[in-house]
Amino acid sequence: MPLSDLGLVVEPTYPKAAELMAIGKTAADDDAVEEGVKVRNQWWSHRLRKHIFIWQEPDGRVKGGTVPYGNRGVHLELNTLGASVAWGIEQEANAVHLLGQLLKHHAFKMYLLTGMFLETSKRSGVTYLFRKLRPTVALDARNDGNKSARVLAALCLHPIGYYKESWAGSMCPTDDVIAHLMLMRGDEPMFWRRANQHAPGTPEAAI
Amino acid sequence: MSFGTIGILNVGAGDTKLSFDPTNPAEVIRASRIVKDMIRRGYALLVATGKDDDGRPIYHRATDFDEKTAEYIIADFDPVTAAAADAAETGASTPSEETSDVDTPAAPPSRGGRQKAPAPNSKAGRRLKASNVHAVAVSRSAGG
Repeated sequence: MPLSDLGLVVEPTYPKAAELMAIGKTAADDDAVEEGVKVRNQWWSHRLRKHIFIWQEPDGRVKGGTVPYGNRGVHLELNTLGASVAWGIEQEANAVHLLGQLLKHHAFKMYLLTGMFLETSKRSGVTYLFRKLRPTVALDARNDGNKSARVLAALCLHPIGYYKESWAGSMCPTDDVIAHLMLMRGDEPMFWRRANQHAPGTPEAAI
Repeated sequence: MSFGTIGILNVGAGDTKLSFDPTNPAEVIRASRIVKDMIRRGYALLVATGKDDDGRPIYHRATDFDEKTAEYIIADFDPVTAAAADAAETGASTPSEETSDVDTPAAPPSRGGRQKAPAPNSKAGRRLKASNVHAVAVSRSAGG
């Protein structure tokens, strides 16, 4: 459902995707940079906890700058909260019911009480922390006798569409969790291919 | 009596369910057409093929669907078995511990195994009657 103050990103091959994305969109919503300026590179620095940008000015000079972490996490959380008007309680209840059929009792109890649960892939040995309204965290706990774990990535994936600058998908929250779980169980390499990988430490990863 | 269903994760009214009730051929034909169309559109169809030792359902992605016989076609490839065979032969690999200040995407889990998976949409593979199994359909991702 398009919302007036949150941009909707829809998978381009979905029917009427362009029309849906255009609803409520203004020129200010575009991520366009100043005319003549070309972004050469950008990345997240774990040490500085900042996004680093390198760009080229219209006169050819190359400059660099940083964008600090700031309150971006709160910004994402508030937008996610705002997206809740798009979902229905009945749809979410149906999704929770379906998830209950896919999980063992303890994992389902974890989900109901905390909004997250763990599952380890028998294929790769990678442990996944599935979270409601947050990217799934891939953990490597194979070494050290499962005493410690290394975060590999935060995997963000929203079937059909999602709301910009938020962790909210166009489907109700538990349906997104089911999509992650099913893709991991059924075709793990496809799950990684389709998901956007946020580096641990970035605000988008929400770790 | 229980028969095969497919739950489609969707927006709006939420999940929709199609059933393959053998006593209702019209419904089976309708469901088969929808499933075939979903595969064409890039949906991932995850089919429950059994249960593991812990009682957890095992899912495989259907690479195709036979409309005439209402059967899912899944890659006849078991990565767990193949990986176990590889590990026994060469020893389990350990991931790199290198860290960097610059973001590099983590590598997807390796499929592992000497067996080669059939190409997508290949007609070869294991067939499962849609009326006997449960499945979940996930549409293409918009990213995140």
